[in-house]
Amino acid sequence: MDAMIQLIHVSKWYDRRPALSDVMIEIEKGEFVLLMGPSGSGKSTILRMLIGEERPDEGQLFVQGKNVTKLKRSEIPYLRRKVGSVFQDFRLLPKKSVFDNVALPLIVQGVSEKDIRRKVTEALRAVGVEHKRDLSPSSLSTGEQQRVCIARAIVNGPVILLADEPTGNLDSELTGEIIELFKLINARGTTVVVATHNHHVRHQVNCRVISLMQGVVLPERAMPERVGV
Amino acid sequence: MRTNRMTTIVAILTTAFTLTCVGVFLLLYVNLQHAAGWLQEDVKIMVYLEDRLSRDGRLQLELMLKSDHMVAGVLYISKEQALTEFRTQFPADSHLLEGLGENPLPASFVVTLAPSFRSPEGMKEWVEQVQTMGGVEKVDYNQQWISLLAEFIGYIELAAIGVGVLLSAAAVTIIGNTIRLTLFARREEIEILRSIGATGTFIRVPYFLEGAVLGACGSAVSLGILKVGFELFRQQVQFISRFSELKGLISFFPLSVCLGLILAGMVLGFTGSVVSLLRVGDGRV
Repeated sequence: MDAMIQLIHVSKWYDRRPALSDVMIEIEKGEFVLLMGPSGSGKSTILRMLIGEERPDEGQLFVQGKNVTKLKRSEIPYLRRKVGSVFQDFRLLPKKSVFDNVALPLIVQGVSEKDIRRKVTEALRAVGVEHKRDLSPSSLSTGEQQRVCIARAIVNGPVILLADEPTGNLDSELTGEIIELFKLINARGTTVVVATHNHHVRHQVNCRVISLMQGVVLPERAMPERVGV
Repeated sequence: MRTNRMTTIVAILTTAFTLTCVGVFLLLYVNLQHAAGWLQEDVKIMVYLEDRLSRDGRLQLELMLKSDHMVAGVLYISKEQALTEFRTQFPADSHLLEGLGENPLPASFVVTLAPSFRSPEGMKEWVEQVQTMGGVEKVDYNQQWISLLAEFIGYIELAAIGVGVLLSAAAVTIIGNTIRLTLFARREEIEILRSIGATGTFIRVPYFLEGAVLGACGSAVSLGILKVGFELFRQQVQFISRFSELKGLISFFPLSVCLGLILAGMVLGFTGSVVSLLRVGDGRV
């Protein structure tokens, strides 16, 4: 198996308080992983490091074999193009249509208009909101907004999909729908890492769970069979 | 630019008024330069002759002056012609000369120097040389006045540069602050763009362009204000009879200078946005 993500003895401090302490994580290509832990356990810090938004104070971090800690600032946008991000607060542009929001990652990469139309339509169809393409995000339900956010994250075919508390604003039924969507994306070969403190999520997906507590990775209690690999 | 319409309009107007102040000095400087050139062309040197100079002596002196490579033209004015001219120019004062009996005005040569010798230094050198010639009573020209004008233009030039630099910095700051406000209003959008892999250049370029467009618009509006002010001034000058000749002398910036000023506005606006993006972005945008 190829390692898609590797954290080797990663530590991070905020104002002398440890956010991560000597974290060792390896996530394989095509794996579905839940990063679980309460608020402040270090889940979001790991995700931010994976897209180059934060740098570890100690240790090394590899994404697809590339040392992220040694990336130049100018190289970080290119890392982010390979890693799709889904946020709890969706982060959609309210003045742009659903279609335009999903098209953004392709526009910044200079993809042709014809390809943008095709890829955005495919992504919207994959998440089930193709019929809402011309609407404003604010006119959609929270579940639909999260689907649009996922469509934007997968539209350029990333190798990794990171989701930070993607179900934080959703009820249990919608949470189930979104997790099903992640499973589908994972089944197509994308490595999916979902950070959540919602224990219901772990019952909805049969995957490896990495538990964090105060910046420390807890020993794995169980290794359920992996999804999509 | 559309999202912050009010801020944009205020920025364009403030930049326009700032650049108008620079423009006033520039316009004054350009017109004084023009006037100085015109006056220099018109400068005549009066070579007054001794009354006892014979006709042959006068002809010899005229020949010497005409053969001088620094001289462009020589015109002889006899004592009688000088008297007639005096009476024509000052009819009210002509009675002053009648009591004297003999014509007191001297004969003279009106000398025009070649263009390349019309500088204050060139004229001074030539005058010193002619003053030593036999038969010459006195050489007169408005040297002091020309030097004063040159000095005054120098001061205006310095003031234009000083005010220009100062107010250009103000324009850069104004536009920079407008861009900062725009950045602040769009911080979420920028954050989203960064998270999906937009490069710094992709994010910055629209703001650079916005700054340049703001600067160009401000500059164009300032030119409009200057043109209106200039035309009003010219009309006023026309109505005052003693300055009516000035109307033909003063002129607005030629098209090339107008385009140059708009370009300068663009550069100032661009600089403002660059400064603002460096400060606000702190390397992140």
